[in-house]
Amino acid sequence: MQQTPSSPAGLTALEKVIAFVDERVGLKTLQAKMLNEPVPGGSRWAYVFGSILLFIFIMQAITGILLMFYYVPTADHAFASTQYIIHEVDYGWFLLSYHFWGSTAMVVCVFAHMSQVFLWGAYKSPRELIWLVGLALFGIVMGFGFTGYLLPWDQRAYWATTVGVEIMDKTPLLGDFMARFLKGGAIPGQMTLSRFFVIHVMVLPAALMGLAGLHIFLFRAAGPAGPFRGTPEEIKAKTDYFFPRQIWKDIVGMIAVFFTICALAFWEPVVLLEEATPDPGDYHPEPEWYFLFLFQLLRLKMFGGEFGQFLGAIALPGAFMALMAALPFIDKDPERNIFKRPIALIGWIVVMAMILLFTVAAIINREFLD
Amino acid sequence: MMQPKLTSKVRATDREIGEVSKVIVDPLSHEISHIVVSMNGSGERQVSMAFVQSVTDGLVELRAAAGDILELPPFKRDDYVTTHEVEIAHLEDRVHVTPGEVLVPFPELEKSVKRRTFFMNFTHVIGFLIGLPIAFPVLRYLMKPMYSPFDNGWLKIGNVSKIKQDDIGFQFKYKRKVKEAYMPESEIEKNVWVLKVTPAVMDKVYQGKDMEFKDALGKTVWTNKKDFPYVAFSGKCPHLGCGYKWRQHKVLGQVFLCPCHLSIYDASGKVLDGPAPRALDALPIKVSATGEVEIIDMEFKAGTKSQIRII
Repeated sequence: MQQTPSSPAGLTALEKVIAFVDERVGLKTLQAKMLNEPVPGGSRWAYVFGSILLFIFIMQAITGILLMFYYVPTADHAFASTQYIIHEVDYGWFLLSYHFWGSTAMVVCVFAHMSQVFLWGAYKSPRELIWLVGLALFGIVMGFGFTGYLLPWDQRAYWATTVGVEIMDKTPLLGDFMARFLKGGAIPGQMTLSRFFVIHVMVLPAALMGLAGLHIFLFRAAGPAGPFRGTPEEIKAKTDYFFPRQIWKDIVGMIAVFFTICALAFWEPVVLLEEATPDPGDYHPEPEWYFLFLFQLLRLKMFGGEFGQFLGAIALPGAFMALMAALPFIDKDPERNIFKRPIALIGWIVVMAMILLFTVAAIINREFLD
Repeated sequence: MMQPKLTSKVRATDREIGEVSKVIVDPLSHEISHIVVSMNGSGERQVSMAFVQSVTDGLVELRAAAGDILELPPFKRDDYVTTHEVEIAHLEDRVHVTPGEVLVPFPELEKSVKRRTFFMNFTHVIGFLIGLPIAFPVLRYLMKPMYSPFDNGWLKIGNVSKIKQDDIGFQFKYKRKVKEAYMPESEIEKNVWVLKVTPAVMDKVYQGKDMEFKDALGKTVWTNKKDFPYVAFSGKCPHLGCGYKWRQHKVLGQVFLCPCHLSIYDASGKVLDGPAPRALDALPIKVSATGEVEIIDMEFKAGTKSQIRII
């Protein structure tokens, strides 16, 4: 980190260029500031998810841009252009499948990241704002999944959107407006595709980049939370900088995620169904797997009828998100050790178990339909 | 916390030994942990704050003798980085070691400016003046396709001769022409379920009353007579808008079943089981002398107890 002044004569051309830029921009100081952040208690595998999410997003942006070279967002060409990407364009199947499985990886890692922050009690003072911005980012990731799903314009896409927007319609007062605003009319069509496309490729990426930047800025302003147990002396003794140990762990995590996505893209490439049309034929509409628990929840009798549907589709998820947002302001106990926070631990286990239970139930239900 | 200033003189119990050349901070607690003393020409020593007796303006007094301090190992600069090269949040709020403030003169022109608050508020007003006039046009721009008049045209969907049995759901698939905004006219596939109903089911559907269908203004566009033996149900499930099927159910016999959220309806469209909030939506239907079926392709909002027409 210590800069040793040397005579300009001894520098290679590349070093001269770097020195030129550094003198004007302060690159080395910037690099040092980025890498030399003390991680209290030292690096951990548990901290890798934030960096992995950033990596997945960058890859989604790159593959997404590449897909747009051939994709046409119109009702009469979206399906054909996606088929063209899959069947005609060299490695098109791979890039599209990578983008598809990348979105799944994103959702998985968001859940892991949020769970880690929750279990470590890292949302507590003074990190409330990081948590709130994180929740907004969670919403954006879900928005990406929802809007991206329609773009191939096959039956799967059409029906997931039809049902998804109908659910939004159940929001009191604003529901009808929101649903029509998203659909660009009373029923899904070209306007819906245009709107979902522009939201997916312009609005959400801009929002995500801004909020992710804010998220990292707030994280740097507050500093990492560190482990939830250990005396200050123990924590200090194990403290190291972000570079190199934590970065090494992050990189290993990224490459593991990268190869997993590649493997899934290779063995389970995206296959389209029939082109979208308001007649489902033999297709049984179903959302993406990470929405299956909500889908199964809405099959319950208690969430049936007009009011029940509002309860299950709007009020319950809404109340859960509101509780998440209020969490750092309700839970003011500075204790961060998860084993001394029984309500938090049990709450997390219950939520995870419910999601798992309802997802499995939805999968079992499939068999009875065929 | 004691804040030993840089360049302060350092005095041991017996004599003055040098001055503070550096201050070392704990990155986690943000406390000053050591001072580095430049020993009047005999190198630098790292002295723990535990040795510091007091800090006054320009002077740091130690608890140890000069000889003890000199015996400490020399300060190793390479073990440390400056605070400019490391990211430690809020460090500057806690540690005040600079020997003095660095000042820049206020520009001459700025000194005469009054009403700074007024100018600040004025920039906000300008912002509103730019934002407000475009807010409404932008909203209208985005809302353009959201509301459109209902289409009450009749569509030919097939011939009733295809229906061989009473009270059995028979799916009629048809194509509907759509012309959306700038797009070329295209056809979308849709379906309705048509039943030839026995008087028992007919009663359940009509409940003794003619069924009226209205346009957006509330004017009746068609009436299904209560003794008309054909019923057409919109292919859209009134729960959340999926497409349902005519299926054999283990317990309930032949029913309409929606594979999405498992709503079940009988031949008259009544909800037998599942989360649906209302019965299937009957559509305006007429059958010509030759058996040609025509319907008005209405759609109703899903998920509501009452029928709310959307197209």
